[in-house]
Amino acid sequence: MWVRVMSVFNEPLWIAVNIGFPFFSSVGLGLLYSSTGLRSFVGFAILGGIMISFWGNVLWSMASQFYWDKQVGLFEIYLTSPAPMTAILIGMSLGGVVNTAPSAVLVAVAGWLFFAPPLSPSWLAVGLTFALTLASLYAMGMMLSSLYLAYGREAESINEALHEPVSLISGVYFPSIGNFSPFPFSVQVFASLIPLTIGMDALRRALFFSQGLSSIYLHLIVLSIMGGALLLLSSKTMKLLEEKGRREGQSR
Amino acid sequence: MSSVKTVLASIRIGWYRDFGWTNPVTGFLMKTIAPVASVLSASIVYWLGSSAAGSFDPSHVSYIIVGAALYSHVAAYSWVPSQAISEGKWSYVFPQVFISPKSSTPFLVGRCLASFVTSTLTSLISLAFAYYVAAAIFKSSIPFIVTPLSMILLLGALLANVPATLGLGILLAAYTIFASKFEWALPTYVAGLLMVFSEALFPVSVLPWPLSAFGNVLPFTQFIRAAREAVVYGSVSAYSYYVGYSLLGGLLFLGVSLWAYRWAERQGRKKGIIDRKVV
Repeated sequence: MWVRVMSVFNEPLWIAVNIGFPFFSSVGLGLLYSSTGLRSFVGFAILGGIMISFWGNVLWSMASQFYWDKQVGLFEIYLTSPAPMTAILIGMSLGGVVNTAPSAVLVAVAGWLFFAPPLSPSWLAVGLTFALTLASLYAMGMMLSSLYLAYGREAESINEALHEPVSLISGVYFPSIGNFSPFPFSVQVFASLIPLTIGMDALRRALFFSQGLSSIYLHLIVLSIMGGALLLLSSKTMKLLEEKGRREGQSR
Repeated sequence: MSSVKTVLASIRIGWYRDFGWTNPVTGFLMKTIAPVASVLSASIVYWLGSSAAGSFDPSHVSYIIVGAALYSHVAAYSWVPSQAISEGKWSYVFPQVFISPKSSTPFLVGRCLASFVTSTLTSLISLAFAYYVAAAIFKSSIPFIVTPLSMILLLGALLANVPATLGLGILLAAYTIFASKFEWALPTYVAGLLMVFSEALFPVSVLPWPLSAFGNVLPFTQFIRAAREAVVYGSVSAYSYYVGYSLLGGLLFLGVSLWAYRWAERQGRKKGIIDRKVV
């Protein structure tokens, strides 16, 4: 965690690097919402921009992190160090959240200044949902990082292929589950297996429709279960692949 | 003649780089998924907003599908020259090209053209796929002109836009010669700026002046307008105007970019910039 946080502290340009895609997609889709004549939904685009920052970080700095580390010879150091891999991954996750936060805050501030969307928040529910969504999202990143260990250069292409479709079905910029969803029921069920879907739905309800804990408690329970299960799974898969790597003496 | 050979060899390198890690079908499918999802996202945002506002217009879905597919097409291949340099610096491919007695421009042009062909195919598939999926999920008939003439016109617009996109790519490459860190983040900015300023999702008139004026003169904006005339509105005269504007503007832009790249390349050779590393 310390290494990650210091990397941004020592190089503030990282914030500018992280902000590009979320900012422009928020502005672009926000303008699209407002061009339809419905300014009240512009907030969906800004919230989407905030959360896409974290999703991008999970994909590029968690899931495929070990691929970059293998390239520069860091992964071998992780393997031979006495620290458990799960602890390294949790530290990376916490550092990732801290590092992405400034970009997410900038997207939020710029979006709110530019569009001033109507808000009707239940802040306690927003805070709790946000924390649980990030926890389960980063737990998913930890699990993906274990799986990505089995890949080489493919990791980059897989990330490029995953980023947009997951944003689409998890409803980063529009509701993908529930009454307003454009998707058929089967797609909604599949989408609900992704923590980001549940988190986005709960965040929209809490931030724009003033739904409190009593309305979104089911979302919170599901997010907690997902987070715990993904953390457990990531630890198991990491151990499996770590043992395989040690046995076969290679980290590809 | 040797430049043509270099361009052809570079096209081959580009395809090998994109598809060499797997079989071509899987590689191609992986490259198609993202643009399809991106086009559908934009269409759904419009559908949701306009349905709630009671102003849903199926022809506007065509407008968005074409714009979203084509801005991501431009973004997908405009950053390839820059990527060829940044990745090449790291893998030591680019210094080899750079120290050769000739300019590295044909190498970059070849990489860009390889990506243009791939991206053209993925964009056309995205257009077709998004059209059918959007018609199914919005439960409405979305107007789209599919005739031999409209397809030829669309292809003509895609080709007319090559100089402008190549110009953007070469200009970014000129910057990348000097950059030694974070140049890999450029594509996100290019894609984002194109989304907002090239009339991909909404008319540039929505933007405040002078941003709207800036968007209006971009050859990419004219290219997307020409493509819409070809497959959505069907006005050949408007198409000719937009495609001519895109081609001429693109050639002018390419000229300026080539000049900038030559200058950057000369500076790079003189000052040994290419070997500069981040410590």
